Amino acid sequence: MDGIHDLGGKQGFGPVAVDSEYHRMDDPIDAFGWTMNQTLRAPGLSIDWWRHIRELTPPVDYLTRPYFDQWVMTQLIAMLDTGVLTLEEVLTHQPIPLAEPVPAMSVADVLAANRAAGKRFDTPIAAAPRWEIGSSVLMRNASFSGHSRLPNYVLGKAGVITAQHGAHWFPDACAHGDERAEHLYTVEFTAAELWPQDAVENNLIYLDLWECYFVDA
Amino acid sequence: MDDQKKVTELYHTLHSHLPSEPALRVKTIQSLLVEKGLIQEATIDSWVQAYSEDIGPRRGAEVIAKAWLEPDFKQALLADAAQAVDELGLMGKAVGHLKAVENTDAVHNMVVCTLCSCYPFALLGIAPDWYKKAAYRSRAVREPRQVLREFGVELADEITVRVYDSTAELRYLVIPQRPAGTEDFTAAQLADLVTRNAMIGTQRELSVEVA
Repeated sequence: MDGIHDLGGKQGFGPVAVDSEYHRMDDPIDAFGWTMNQTLRAPGLSIDWWRHIRELTPPVDYLTRPYFDQWVMTQLIAMLDTGVLTLEEVLTHQPIPLAEPVPAMSVADVLAANRAAGKRFDTPIAAAPRWEIGSSVLMRNASFSGHSRLPNYVLGKAGVITAQHGAHWFPDACAHGDERAEHLYTVEFTAAELWPQDAVENNLIYLDLWECYFVDA
Repeated sequence: MDDQKKVTELYHTLHSHLPSEPALRVKTIQSLLVEKGLIQEATIDSWVQAYSEDIGPRRGAEVIAKAWLEPDFKQALLADAAQAVDELGLMGKAVGHLKAVENTDAVHNMVVCTLCSCYPFALLGIAPDWYKKAAYRSRAVREPRQVLREFGVELADEITVRVYDSTAELRYLVIPQRPAGTEDFTAAQLADLVTRNAMIGTQRELSVEVA
């Protein structure tokens, strides 16, 4: 999807606010936004569908509202979408209490949940990888309409495969309920290929990309 | 697409009904979910405490210090970082496909997520604000040297910058160079030197003053 989230290479955002940093959840928005998203997984919610909801944040909000305020809205919509909560409950602020409330988590529960969240996203498939390390490949030159992890700034650009990672769940399909995997590769691009209009610099850019995003160069 | 229409309509409906001010909006949703019994206030406190005291960049720093001290561990980390951190008991959120990339005299690595803000949470904690904002996400892939300069990093022209855009579920951890003059340091003293920004790649030289 050619949306506001696809920021790589866009210009005009000014300097990086290098001092805007903290290590902890000092702000109540951060504390709730993080907790809500770690604990209230809507049934059947995939990370890909969650990311797609996030990408659909209205563009002005995406660029201006606090980060975890946006995560709260994303997760709220995921919950509404799967029926964990109804729109009426939200709009009237009259929630129907659960017969059995979700129990509180202790710090030990949180640490166990963190360990369990170290998930893998690779899965074996029958097809052999089409390319090998060193292959030159050319990115497709059209952005996908739905969720995709092929950023605009590499569309139509040529790169070289530097690593194979086996087959990983394919986000473009999984976001829309079609759970299938494709071979995943790391592709190296030169700065001169990606930004030929800029002064040439000795920079290399690496992206992890699925097989159907590219063809032989 | 129907999926997109459904979601954008929900955003607009919620936008017109919920308070606009962020703190108030979040508080409204929080109280709704607490009243429904989907989440307990104590759970939020537990997450804050876990991320304040336990899960954070100290975990990543300990991995780096161990890599500096133990060549075998460094090789294991470079070969399969996810497995190496799992063996240290540090497996967790978003590091199931961790990759370690090493800075050298000739190479500087830096990490970004241009499409969202993917980050190895279990090793570095909550991402800093700048990592999540448009300026860093847009510019890191296009003008990494200028971005690094804003962080106070001046790179010689002959040093190659390798920028990793976290477009899949792989997450990247930069192994900074071990500072000179730390030959006698313990693992804990070395870990004290390793900053979060160095593990993202927006700092190159580590100071030995901290220890």
